[in-house]
Amino acid sequence: MVGQRVRDPLHNLIEFQTSTEDLHHVLWQVLQTRPFQRLRRVRQLGFSDVVYPGATHTRFAHSLGVFHTAARLIETIKKSAPRPQKQKIDQTLAAALLHDVGHGPLSHAFEPFGKRFKLEMAKHETVSERLITDSEITPLLETISKGFAGNVADMVCGKGEKSVYSAVVSSQFDADRLDYMRRDRLMTGTQNSAIDFEWLVANLEVGELPYGVDEVQTGVRDTFVLGPKAFFAAETYILALFQLYPTVYFHKATRGAEKIFEELLCRLYLLTVDGSIDQTGLPENHSLIKFFRDGLKLEDFLELDDTVIWGSLSLLATAKDKYVAEFATRLRDRMLFKAIDVRARLEICFDGDEDRIDHALNRITSEISARNEAKFADGPRILFDRAERSPYKTLESGGPLNQIHIRQADDALVDIRDISDVVRSIKSFKLYRAYVARDDCDSQKFVDDLIQSEISDGQLRGI
Amino acid sequence: MANYAASEIASVLKDAGGELIGRTRLQKLLYFLREAGMGPDLSFEYRHYGPYSEEAVFAAKEAKYEGLIEEEERVANWGGPYSVYRLLQDVEGSPERAEFVRIARDADAVQLELAATALFLAKGGEGSPWEEAERRKPEKASGGGLGRSKALYSKLRAVPGFEDRLPEL
Repeated sequence: MVGQRVRDPLHNLIEFQTSTEDLHHVLWQVLQTRPFQRLRRVRQLGFSDVVYPGATHTRFAHSLGVFHTAARLIETIKKSAPRPQKQKIDQTLAAALLHDVGHGPLSHAFEPFGKRFKLEMAKHETVSERLITDSEITPLLETISKGFAGNVADMVCGKGEKSVYSAVVSSQFDADRLDYMRRDRLMTGTQNSAIDFEWLVANLEVGELPYGVDEVQTGVRDTFVLGPKAFFAAETYILALFQLYPTVYFHKATRGAEKIFEELLCRLYLLTVDGSIDQTGLPENHSLIKFFRDGLKLEDFLELDDTVIWGSLSLLATAKDKYVAEFATRLRDRMLFKAIDVRARLEICFDGDEDRIDHALNRITSEISARNEAKFADGPRILFDRAERSPYKTLESGGPLNQIHIRQADDALVDIRDISDVVRSIKSFKLYRAYVARDDCDSQKFVDDLIQSEISDGQLRGI
Repeated sequence: MANYAASEIASVLKDAGGELIGRTRLQKLLYFLREAGMGPDLSFEYRHYGPYSEEAVFAAKEAKYEGLIEEEERVANWGGPYSVYRLLQDVEGSPERAEFVRIARDADAVQLELAATALFLAKGGEGSPWEEAERRKPEKASGGGLGRSKALYSKLRAVPGFEDRLPEL
């Protein structure tokens, strides 16, 4: 019977069986709510279109894609589990659809800004939990069963019991990654990072795995495993996801734009809480001002999306505060700071000695921070970006259900890292870039001198 | 010269008698000491094994780089990895926290994780931290695990100087 269908550039057709499945009917109604519709105005990749003009896809489309992909993964559980649990399946599908509902505008910068000032309402997990348990979404979910909304929120925030169901929503082989890596590849146009999705899903099974804490075993659990024939496809998947980081997510221009936006937000926040709204260029009833001034309320958060930010730049560009005016102009007109690849220069001289490089970068960070504080009262003018992406996360980050296991010929389940030379040999991608204005020769020289000082110090020590 | 956090990790190992087993144990111990004001002021967030500090990871790396400690990786009976930390240089310990550190050193890692999780949740405003810890980690709390964790936490709090520093949960 025909339910509701949505066309999608990645999945072709995403279906909600609203005529036959209570949950699908409810989730279709969730789609129509204000919090969910807001995701049409929140881009998945924030500022990436400064590099990839096609990267304008939304968290709305991605959320539908994750729902669709989760349904595919759940078919594996239904085939393999002796008694699939309907309530857990429903919870998983709802969590898949709602997993990003609390993302702020341009969240790759919005969240670091929030972290700096310890603002809970800038964290997407906090807002997602609130929207799922305390908004117009909640009574819809509660029609499934009492407490259903709370259970969905737990799964979205990673708080509930870990199981093969929760692994559909959050693990190193989850519906979120399987959608966004393919969607981001499609929409950016990068030709790296293709995966054999159908083969991976066709070889997906459920297996039982022991787990523990440090040296102590605590039990066994069901988890997703890949059959032996999917070993090479699994290696490709790990490498493909990893390579999206240096090429797309960590692109120097994208990160540079994020850093400028982060500093702009910080300055706006400080001016607002200081009572200097007249310096910002924004009216008192602007959504950003209300959010900052009035205690970061949920209803004010719902007014914030990418269009509000982009729409405010022309006003911000005329702010009395010169720092706000400059940084808003830079974003509006794509006049980004120049990136200095500090790490790359140290790597050449220190011959890949990671510990030595990290040590030098710690010192460079301290010097840059001190310089910004001493010289630039309104806000930093030497921005820096330090990030790292490992190709495959360790057990500590998410526990054993987070890992990718391969079933061997003798039915033993082995973490792919233990049997793949490829996965073991990929080193983490680490970046450290300083960003300065192109006409700021003093700051450029300052950074160059810092780098040279570390190199000289290393040469003296015989490294 | 090692930074403060790295030096403190070495000092904690001294208090532990020179050796500590497990990354989880080290992380949770550092969390308790931070909350009691008896250890480095690291920032923690909630992860799979409860309160986790990326800064602690960096500090341990720094301590290894400076030759203060070493980390040996082993494989547990259940197949997962775990670490053994050893002190390499003689450093100053802290007598006021030594007993606390030794109790944590000898405690079951699961109970330590549960207790640290309950404290983290309480500090985050959770009104019923033990119940919430049990809800999030039912397999670790079952079979009397929660009761043993509560007992461990009471024992840690009972160390002279810590009762006023760690809240009753």
